[in-house]
Amino acid sequence: MRDSLTVSERSELGKLHVRRLRNQGKVPAILYGHGEANVNLAVPSEQVALAVRHGSRLVDLNGAVNETVLVRQVQWDAFGLHVLHLDFSRISADESVDIVLPIELKGAAIGTKEGGVIEHIKHELRIRCPALRIPEKLEVNISALHLDQAVTSGQVTLPEGAQLLTDADEIVVHCIKPMVEDELSTAAAESGEPEVIGRKKEDAEGEGGDEE
Amino acid sequence: MALMPKRVKHRKNQRGRIKGSATRGNRVVFGDYGLQAVEGGWIKANTIEAGRIAAQQYIRGEGRLYVRMFPHKSITARPLETRMGKGKGEPAHWVAVIKPGSVLYELGGVTEDQAKVCMARLAHKMPLRVRFVKRRMT
Repeated sequence: MRDSLTVSERSELGKLHVRRLRNQGKVPAILYGHGEANVNLAVPSEQVALAVRHGSRLVDLNGAVNETVLVRQVQWDAFGLHVLHLDFSRISADESVDIVLPIELKGAAIGTKEGGVIEHIKHELRIRCPALRIPEKLEVNISALHLDQAVTSGQVTLPEGAQLLTDADEIVVHCIKPMVEDELSTAAAESGEPEVIGRKKEDAEGEGGDEE
Repeated sequence: MALMPKRVKHRKNQRGRIKGSATRGNRVVFGDYGLQAVEGGWIKANTIEAGRIAAQQYIRGEGRLYVRMFPHKSITARPLETRMGKGKGEPAHWVAVIKPGSVLYELGGVTEDQAKVCMARLAHKMPLRVRFVKRRMT
């Protein structure tokens, strides 16, 4: 089920008015696309928080605008606590849109019982999908994944009519042997002082001798 | 041995000032869960390493830990019992400059409960206030 947002049109623009709007518990938004005029909107922040928690890509707008739209972008504050702004894009039933969807892993891999660990490498996939069939996320079942096996982006089940835009050979998730502690701390193996770019060795030695 | 750069342009840095919040590096990108700094400050190279070891000992090779900070800044110090003057001291240690909102560590391949326990252990090592974060919609 799609989330619905009650929107109101806003005429006052600029950071001062937008800041006041946020203080009133509303999130500024914009609706654009299909060659029509942009509409500046305000959405109650509780409804936005709910839609974001559900991961909804398609939402129904009610109020000043009555249509189903695509959430193109969500802008967050530096701490990722509050949504600052939303971009809505107009869509039509016969249209395909390019979108980045999150990947969720399902099941427990057999490989973990064989001594392996699951490494989720690619968390998002870019696909071209019919606008009204956009799912909230792409699910990958890894229950049949053995040690040293991988699932590539080409093997991910896409919604009907969707097309993969990222490279089909890219590894999404694999089951590998756990890393040994030594491999992890290779970066820390260096000792002494770092090399100074553009300085000759004799200069560096000379400077070292000065201090006492 | 703690982390430090391989090559630097200058051996000694000025102190600098931390202004504003992190506008980059403030999202969980590599793993599923993260530890985010709530306040700014410096984190020493050996503290970064201590945090990594604390987390690694808890996850025991099950998940994958990502360290999202690096000590790029050298901090100088004077030797003990020396008089003032005679120029700036020698580099004593290295620190990572942390802006509020920066994600310090990330963890993937573990459950949320495991990640919370692991990050709590890690947070004890940190000299800044931190919080547990998850991936978010963009």
